[in-house]
Amino acid sequence: MAIRLATQRRPPERAQEGAPVALRLLGVTIAVFALIPLISLVQHAATVDPDVALGQLFRPRMAMLLGHTFGLMVTCVAASIVLSLACAWLVVRTDLPLRGLWHVLLTAPLAVPAFVNGFGWVSLTHAVEGYAGASMVVTLSYFPLVYLPVTAALRGLDPVHEELAGTLGLSRTQTFLRVVLPQLRPAVLGGSLLVALHMLSEFGALKMLRFPTFTTAIYDQFNTSFNGAAAHMTASVLVLVCFVVLLVELRLRGRRRYAPTSSGTPRVAARLELGRARLVALLLPGAVTALALGVPIYSLLRWVSIGTSTGRGSEDLLPTALATIVFALVGALLAVALALPVSVLVVRHASRTSTLIERSTYTANALPGIVIALALITFTIRYVPGLYQTAPVLVAAYLIMFLSRAVVSVRSSLEQAPPVLENVARSLGLSRMAATWRVTVPIVLPGIGAGAALVFIAICTELTATLLLAPIETQTLATRFWSLSGGLQYGAAAPFALLMIGLAMPAVYLLSRTPGRKS
Amino acid sequence: MTSRLLAVAVPLLLLTGALSACSQEDDGPFITVYNAQHEELLKELAPKFTDETGIEVKLRNGSDFELGNQLVAEGDASPADVFLTENSPAMSLVEKEGLFAPLEEGTLELIPQAYRPASGDWTGFAARSTVLMYNTSEISEDELPTSIVDLAEPKWKGRVSFSPTGADFQAIVSAVLETKGEAATKAWLEGLAENGEVYDGNNIVMQSVNDGEVETGIAYHYYWYRDQQESGENSSETALHFFTNQDPGAFVSVSGAGVLESSDKQEDAQEFVRWLVDEAGQQALADSYALEYPLNPDVQLDSQVKPFSALEPPVVDVSALNGPKVIELMQDAGLI
Amino acid sequence: MTVLRTSSLTRSFGSVRALDGVDLEIADGAVLAVLGPSGCGKTTLLRVIAGFLSGDAGEVSLGDRVVLSDGRARVSTKHRNIGYVPQEGALFPHLDVAANITFGLSRRERRAGDVADLLALLELDPSLASRYPHELSGGQQQRVAVARALARKPSLLLLDEPFSSLDASLRESTGRAVMRAVQARGAAALLVTHDQNEALSLADSVGVMQAGKVVQVGPPIEVYAHPATPFVASFVGAGTVLSATVADRVAHTPIGDFDVAEDVGSGPAQVFARPEQVRIVEDSKVVATVRGFDFHGHDATVHLGVDGHPEVLCRVGGDELPTIGDEVRILTHGRVTVYPA
Repeated sequence: MAIRLATQRRPPERAQEGAPVALRLLGVTIAVFALIPLISLVQHAATVDPDVALGQLFRPRMAMLLGHTFGLMVTCVAASIVLSLACAWLVVRTDLPLRGLWHVLLTAPLAVPAFVNGFGWVSLTHAVEGYAGASMVVTLSYFPLVYLPVTAALRGLDPVHEELAGTLGLSRTQTFLRVVLPQLRPAVLGGSLLVALHMLSEFGALKMLRFPTFTTAIYDQFNTSFNGAAAHMTASVLVLVCFVVLLVELRLRGRRRYAPTSSGTPRVAARLELGRARLVALLLPGAVTALALGVPIYSLLRWVSIGTSTGRGSEDLLPTALATIVFALVGALLAVALALPVSVLVVRHASRTSTLIERSTYTANALPGIVIALALITFTIRYVPGLYQTAPVLVAAYLIMFLSRAVVSVRSSLEQAPPVLENVARSLGLSRMAATWRVTVPIVLPGIGAGAALVFIAICTELTATLLLAPIETQTLATRFWSLSGGLQYGAAAPFALLMIGLAMPAVYLLSRTPGRKS
Repeated sequence: MTSRLLAVAVPLLLLTGALSACSQEDDGPFITVYNAQHEELLKELAPKFTDETGIEVKLRNGSDFELGNQLVAEGDASPADVFLTENSPAMSLVEKEGLFAPLEEGTLELIPQAYRPASGDWTGFAARSTVLMYNTSEISEDELPTSIVDLAEPKWKGRVSFSPTGADFQAIVSAVLETKGEAATKAWLEGLAENGEVYDGNNIVMQSVNDGEVETGIAYHYYWYRDQQESGENSSETALHFFTNQDPGAFVSVSGAGVLESSDKQEDAQEFVRWLVDEAGQQALADSYALEYPLNPDVQLDSQVKPFSALEPPVVDVSALNGPKVIELMQDAGLI
Repeated sequence: MTVLRTSSLTRSFGSVRALDGVDLEIADGAVLAVLGPSGCGKTTLLRVIAGFLSGDAGEVSLGDRVVLSDGRARVSTKHRNIGYVPQEGALFPHLDVAANITFGLSRRERRAGDVADLLALLELDPSLASRYPHELSGGQQQRVAVARALARKPSLLLLDEPFSSLDASLRESTGRAVMRAVQARGAAALLVTHDQNEALSLADSVGVMQAGKVVQVGPPIEVYAHPATPFVASFVGAGTVLSATVADRVAHTPIGDFDVAEDVGSGPAQVFARPEQVRIVEDSKVVATVRGFDFHGHDATVHLGVDGHPEVLCRVGGDELPTIGDEVRILTHGRVTVYPA
């Protein structure tokens, strides 16, 4: 997921032809599909008496929750950026020992679902409860979403700009701040957007870490008052926040162009020799790995060893793992298939409509899983009752929830495949299709793989929609972990979480192998 | 890479296709149960029902609110035949929407009136008692309050934990409201909000007491007994204190069972609920790991658990739990 | 006063000696072009002088400061007071022209007229200040890159094949404009290039590098007219290597005789004849066959076949083209440098 050459608006001299009608129709269809939960949400919220609605919204507790949500979002995004920049720099630009291993390990926290991480931490210490602890644990779970694109972008940076800065009298630090950082901006922004949206909808981990936010309040509202309408109305506030985040990101991304000004093949930057500081530098990736991977895995293993329920339900491990793999694979492949037309629209046929289509795939990211699941229940029963609680509808829910992860990756890789290459191929006698297949597809393939891997991991760990929409009697690792740990059978539950982490590992490895800019 | 992915995906798809084909072959009678009770419990009970009746039980598991809201969203199109919950408010939600079919008389009369609504639309089938857990090295038994209402007194500041966001705690608030009235409840909630440490989930409450984070915690009895059974990891430093004398702190909440009106398997569904509350089902419950109280007076939990008959719960209408007033009071106190 | 002096500078990459004892000097305000084929070490030389690389042995001084000794860098790039213009300029893509130019200036050092002055110095339109790099032509990007490098008034400007990506017509005008600007700022320049036209026309002196060594340094005219080796001769311009017998300061070759510049004794030798030292005439003993020609408009280079020499180059006026296959007579003249046989 190399987010490097991102630009929203093309320079005027490269005016683009309009998108083919079929592509535009496809794009609009995907956008409408992605907006199903939002549409349903608005319908529900509209049924609430406005007076009641206002009374509910303008309670002091709501202000507190909104404050919590914003605080968590800002802290986690900032912490993810700092952590990712530091780790990416160590891995890409220094002679840190075992760089390859660290890179995989720093990607791996993606395989540990936030609620498992939260569970692991809380069962070891209560010190992680509250704002500081929640920020730490959730950052540890999500920072790879920033780390990965930043690493890829850093790998692709032409070191000539940094050398120049040296001749212009800048110190190493100044060079990093004024030359490297601005060029990493699209990568940082793309990753931060995903982290911010995940913060909006994060539920399980925050419940365990005792940090109430808007989303946990929505669950409480469903849970305590059993008033679905009011809960939907609260969720619509979350959607507004999501819109703000999307706009802010667009604005920060700006109209500046980040394409390289030199067309030559960039040299690989020389690695900084850390010398004796190597050992000290090891502390950072070491600590991050220990906290983000070591703690939850240790905690799970500990439960396996001390729980008396250990082994119960182990006959379910294989079938649930199999079901999880199949859902995750099918979902991942379909997600990148849908992400392709969206990315082609926004990269090759930039327009207001294209941007709207692309942005609409992000909205579901900010919605709690229960809202999406209920929306799909209503929608399916009304329009395609025959499909209710069948695998296709569950996969559709996964697609709506995780499409944005695929779009982020595919889009950024498509930005590295300039259309001129296809034109060259066509001048060499290839048909349009063949040119796409032999030139653009190979260039975009790593991005597609990364997008599929991200979606795969997300589906492996999804809970709420799976509970409500899966075909009857179909269980995944996440639902089994949930029901066993809810019944306090931690020893029996832990193997399911461990297997969930194990399953996601190949995807993590694939992600960590995805190169940055290919030269 | 696409080809590699395909190489994995295609066999897997074929495999699942085969698997689902196998599972669809059992064409005998079956019912679909939306189960918000602990999944493990139903996995112990259902096979026994199938052995006796030949009716398969297919489970959809979720939490009370998830499945309750799902049933409401589904309406008449629901594929569910039976709804089971951990607590009664979700039953009330579905009842209010008119989605339940009345239970048969023969089923209802097996359970004491106090543990089912007057409407006869659903019935309780298991119960749990409110308890005060305490850390035995932090506080001695004689310092413990005689009423849950006392926990609002200033001397308990920072010494009590509870989980207000679950349906469980709200049932306790309902009990206080029923027995003590609105003004007293309001004062109690404000005091508790001031004194208490708020956790999410009764298991976390228990952990925090066990770890010495707080001296006492309000929870249900079975969390403690089950943890003792599992490892004692989260309860070895604690003991249970049962309130007595119809104190609202002695409140007993019920797990509900009901038959959906939209079900086209009314007979089998009714049979399942009847089995659940008659001697066979209740004995299976008592024998399970769950340690929840059976509600059929003919069956007793024979273990170290304090006998159901020894509890002294207050009288509260199960269908009145979690009324809007309770929510309003809790919101005013800033608890939710 | 010298701006740059390197002595016995060496640097290897594995078994490849990229710099093999390089000694060079640049006088105040002078422009030295280092010319050589790719892989000869010229870019390594520039990178060591800039401080991007360390050396293995040798010394580099900038002005009166030793910035590298025993191969190790003693002064970091930041403090070397140099300007650097890489290939294709490498403007910061996220900054506009004005911000690129003032990039190396601290807030205190910036003055209102800086950008306008430097744009004017590079003969650029002041309205370009607010443009972004991708909105500039290649030549404009290159000039802005030079302006950026000159903004801090470096004593030495390092230019790494700065004009190679420009098309021929732009290359010359851009090169001249850059050199005028360098001169106006009183800076010296080290221009690394593989294009002999660029080196000969822009520099005060030219150093030719081959396999890590500087084989000849001197004013362009001297290097062109008296190349130190046949390699230098063929690299700084076209010509023909001829076997010769030298006697009495005359070199006798199969295509005719040449004067020899200095007394080198007598015996067999090699000489190098420039195309303009061979003329097609009406009357001569030497007969050649026209094999082909490269037409340049104002003149042309004719490829001739002579007994014993498959290819002899000869320059003719653009209006005097022979026909391929013709037999012509040729005459030689002028001085040549003699190399051992």
